[in-house]
Amino acid sequence: MTESEKHLTATDRLNLAVAMDRIVPAVDDLPGAGEMGLGIEAEAIAERIPRYREAMIRVLDAITLDPAARVVGGFRALEDDQQVESLKAIEAAMADYFGDFVHLVYTAYYSDARVHSRIGWRSGAPQPAGWHLPPFDASILETVSKREPFWRKT
Amino acid sequence: MTITHESADIVIVGSGASGAAAAWRLSFAGFKIVCLEQGRWIKPEEYPNAAEDWETQSRGTWAFDPNVRGWDVDYPLNVEESCIDPLMFNAVGGSTIHYTAHVPRFHPSDFSVKTLDAVADDWPIDYDELEPYYDLNDELMGCSGINGDPANPPRKERLMPPLPLGSDGERMAGAFDRLGWHWWPSDNYVNSVPYRGRAACNNCGNTGLGCSRQAKGSTDVTYWPEAIKNGVELRTGARVFRVDTADNGEATGVSYFDGDGEVNFQPARAVILAMNGVGTPRIMLNSSSESHPGGLCNSSGLVGKNLMFHPYAMVTGFFNDGMLTYKGALANIIMCQEFYETNQQKDFVRGYSYQMVRSSGPVTTAAGLMTAGVPWGEKHHGAFTARFGNSTILAVIGEDLPEEHNRVELDPKLTDANGIPAPKIFYKLSENSRRLLDDAIANAETALKEAGAFETLANPLLRSSGWHLMGTARMGDDPNASVVDRWGQAHGAENIFVIDGSVFVTCAAVNPTPTIGALALRTADYIKRERSDLKS
Repeated sequence: MTESEKHLTATDRLNLAVAMDRIVPAVDDLPGAGEMGLGIEAEAIAERIPRYREAMIRVLDAITLDPAARVVGGFRALEDDQQVESLKAIEAAMADYFGDFVHLVYTAYYSDARVHSRIGWRSGAPQPAGWHLPPFDASILETVSKREPFWRKT
Repeated sequence: MTITHESADIVIVGSGASGAAAAWRLSFAGFKIVCLEQGRWIKPEEYPNAAEDWETQSRGTWAFDPNVRGWDVDYPLNVEESCIDPLMFNAVGGSTIHYTAHVPRFHPSDFSVKTLDAVADDWPIDYDELEPYYDLNDELMGCSGINGDPANPPRKERLMPPLPLGSDGERMAGAFDRLGWHWWPSDNYVNSVPYRGRAACNNCGNTGLGCSRQAKGSTDVTYWPEAIKNGVELRTGARVFRVDTADNGEATGVSYFDGDGEVNFQPARAVILAMNGVGTPRIMLNSSSESHPGGLCNSSGLVGKNLMFHPYAMVTGFFNDGMLTYKGALANIIMCQEFYETNQQKDFVRGYSYQMVRSSGPVTTAAGLMTAGVPWGEKHHGAFTARFGNSTILAVIGEDLPEEHNRVELDPKLTDANGIPAPKIFYKLSENSRRLLDDAIANAETALKEAGAFETLANPLLRSSGWHLMGTARMGDDPNASVVDRWGQAHGAENIFVIDGSVFVTCAAVNPTPTIGALALRTADYIKRERSDLKS
């Protein structure tokens, strides 16, 4: 079975949620990204973006295989700071895959309406609303317009 | 079995900035024209900025990088030997679908760098010769801006006023003023007011993801409607793999795969190659024959050589005044050309422009696009809050110099879905470019701090910055030192033309699209004027 064909196990999904909590922790009245239930969204995004899927599979495999997580209950049973250390070790060992995994988590988290509400971002498509900006005012050119032409003559 | 079509006078390969312009111009002259495009028409409502998950799409199915996007109509690129990834788009309109439409012109000096600075080569043409075609291209694409820029020659009245600078643009302009540096509102192929039936931009910010509002001038909404009305046949889903030639070296037409994988042959009296600086040499190298050993029109050995990107450095300034810098067109605000020309006091030749770039949505802020992303873990939220809506980028567009070892070859193993060899990119950043970028980074930090940034962060070389693909079938008067002549006509084959960025001799320090369009219109006028023999 290739990496791209592999399916997540129940353990993988639990580990994914915990890893997401460490990557984007709780803030204000929002729990961490995993506790918000965004693992499902992360999996859905990974299905659409192959490099994210491969990164997710490899990072979750690495979490399972990490010697530090070979305790009863595995990665999830570690203290929060131990989980962070485990993730940092994986990041050091596979920086590119871990980087894509972090981007996957960010994509899931910052696409969520609850997060948008907290950070003051208008959810939804950029169009058709756009943004209002005052029209260009040529008076701003006053200083630079006084400069003599200086393009290089040929 | 090959499907052979009725003969055309001219077959154009590619429907982007150059192919569309040439097709439009020639459509008024009575030629029977067929344009072959491997992509398809994209409906306005398909663009990501009309979708809630637009940021997710921008990182996957609508990524600039075809290796990431992976559409069926894309071809893979081997980039193992390149520090910059080529970016492109395959659809009607080509890469004008996803360009930001920031459209500065070359300076007159850019055509004479050997004479002026003893580097690279001079173009066989000059600015004055190209100027009327810049004007014409501006008119058709719809150019917003304002006259009076002291860094550039005077030009015809802009057709629309500049896009709004926004408070963040005004802040940057003020910093340049205080430093005594040049700046000017950008010329853009984005409507600031309604123009030719297309709406004005409403500042959504995503000019790089296609424009569902059609306020951006991509060639599918500018040149193509009229060209088609005039009788040009635009055939989509047509992936050209070879220019066919006769024993005398002249082109007889092109061969392509259609959407069903069938081989088609489009006979023509002339062939115009209008892909890009990677796609065009790819097909030329794949068109070797007894009359064209080593690749189509490659007696000089220069097809695929002298690949130029604009190597980009990105310097981000972080502010704490809550200006919400994601409001407004992404990269269409102002540019600074204070350091455009060679300065004898510096340790590099030629120069660079700054293009101001805005911030974007929350996913892009967190993950980074042109600058590093926000750290994960306990410090994440604090860092995100400091950055989101609070950053301004000065993008450095440095002039890259042509070097033969920077090149496009055919990969011996990698192919596209039809089995056509994929391009392999060989590109190393030169010492000159490195020094130039380092100088630009230092000056950008000065400007951003003058604007009030409490912190700056430099990305010394953006890998995903191969927007501009140039130089791989260069123009020149000497057949031994160039691939095409001053009109884009191939040396050694009078009915083969190249009109995309491949023909650039040097690349200046500005975005290339208006120059590509102007060159294509000029070649079309040459064909109209001098090559009535191509008309059936």
